[in-house]
Amino acid sequence: MMKSFFRTYMPFAKAGTQQMMAYKVNFIFHLIGEIMSCFIMFFIWKAVFTSTDGKTFMGFTMNDMIVYIFISFMTGYLSYSDGAFVLGEEIRDGSVSMRLIKPCSFDMCFLFQEIGNRVISYGIIFVPIVAGVEIYRYFLMGSVQFNVGNFIMFFISLQFAYLINFYFNIIYGFLAFYLKNLWGTTLIKDVIVNFLSGATIPLAFMPFALQTFLTYLPFSSLSYTPVMIYMGMYTWDKILFSMALQIFWIFAFWGISKLIWRSAIRRICVQGG
Amino acid sequence: MRRALRLHRIFISQHMKRLMEYKLDFTMGALGLFISQVIQLLFLGIIFSQIPNLKGWSFNEILFIYGFSLIPKGIDHLLFDNLWMIGYQIVNKGEFDKYLTRPINSLFYVTVENFQVDAFGELIMGIVLVAYSVVQLLSHIVWYRIFVLLLIVPFAVLIFTSLKIITASIAFWTKQSGHVIHMVYMVNDFAKYPVTIYNNVVKVIITYILPFAFTAYYPAGYFLRGQDGLFSVVGTILISVTLFGISLFVWNKGVKSYESAGS
Repeated sequence: MMKSFFRTYMPFAKAGTQQMMAYKVNFIFHLIGEIMSCFIMFFIWKAVFTSTDGKTFMGFTMNDMIVYIFISFMTGYLSYSDGAFVLGEEIRDGSVSMRLIKPCSFDMCFLFQEIGNRVISYGIIFVPIVAGVEIYRYFLMGSVQFNVGNFIMFFISLQFAYLINFYFNIIYGFLAFYLKNLWGTTLIKDVIVNFLSGATIPLAFMPFALQTFLTYLPFSSLSYTPVMIYMGMYTWDKILFSMALQIFWIFAFWGISKLIWRSAIRRICVQGG
Repeated sequence: MRRALRLHRIFISQHMKRLMEYKLDFTMGALGLFISQVIQLLFLGIIFSQIPNLKGWSFNEILFIYGFSLIPKGIDHLLFDNLWMIGYQIVNKGEFDKYLTRPINSLFYVTVENFQVDAFGELIMGIVLVAYSVVQLLSHIVWYRIFVLLLIVPFAVLIFTSLKIITASIAFWTKQSGHVIHMVYMVNDFAKYPVTIYNNVVKVIITYILPFAFTAYYPAGYFLRGQDGLFSVVGTILISVTLFGISLFVWNKGVKSYESAGS
């Protein structure tokens, strides 16, 4: 069972890796462009901390802020998923019929292709950023700040965040094909998700009621949860609770995406071909 | 020149017709850019709720610099957005042939072909912020500087456009350069905040190498505090003209080595 599952889907992962290798120069240029915003944030926070009297800003030290900026950037980048956007287009132009005749499930094809992709992006992003942050913290604090337990939980939580994002974006992909303009709607979606997930502004800076409310929405599971775990801001109770919440959202979005897929397929009518 | 302007008008009116057909597209793009600016401002608001000033700059002054930076950026985005397509696909797919076979300058044709109304999301936000912060800072404003500032805007736009032309031209040799345009373009975000918050490496880069600081901080600093008048005003003009000259040179070189896609 397990063996045939992997025999079916491993080629997709391999194709994903090859695709990524072919475009790795583009990927690196894109990454440099995106990481610029982290450095802007870094300098803004440095200026903020030289302009305040205290050592902390709403409970965060400079050290915390640096970890927050870079780890939340990395989390956002590594949990991003857009592999399934083509699905809406395929349903519209009928080429989805090719998926229906293949003996594999639609979400697993996308998932494995993206996993193949991500092998490369982990190599390019994960190691340099984690190493950079830890070396910086070491020189700032004079001692090793790295916590293996937190790091392992962070890594698992990051994978959960990716899966939530994956199924969330499959659902968005279905929606987007009704909304047509992908550039505009995707921009709006990304901006709002980044805001609600705490990637733009740490949720801890928001009013308490809003903060509590956002913790229960699926978005905080995408970025805030893993980052807080990495930073050691959560107790073990809280880590387990928020990871349970992540698992809940994975199943919720997985279920919804399956439902939409089924009803879309029932209604579809592919002409000719 | 007159012919060019007339053609430009025709292109825009053509584009407006297309636009009326897709009202939703326009609203979505502009709305997206608008919301992303609002959230950035919320972030600045939170910071300033805790500190009186940022390295000596008040909240209203920061709002002015931020808002002003969006205006040249928005104008370039509105009028000359098609250059991105050179980098991403026009050259790669061999579609550039079209521009070479028309009796107008290829660079002019490419840049004016598209009229990107999403840019209103940035432009409106920029104008609102500038107007709001000027009202707040009313007693500090030296009025003749407004004319200087208006004079600078087209040159600031030219800095954006020239850097896009240079990076887009790379595609003539490498087939694709969209990601290089993206990388260079993103540097402009540094110019939205006072250059004084950055370290020397960043300062040198955004002043002399990718001179985005002249699109926002230097002119805004001159307007708000009269600082470095000569450097800020004449510097912006000189740099933009020089950069535009370089961009024309690179573009023409690039067009010469353009090879269409096979078949």
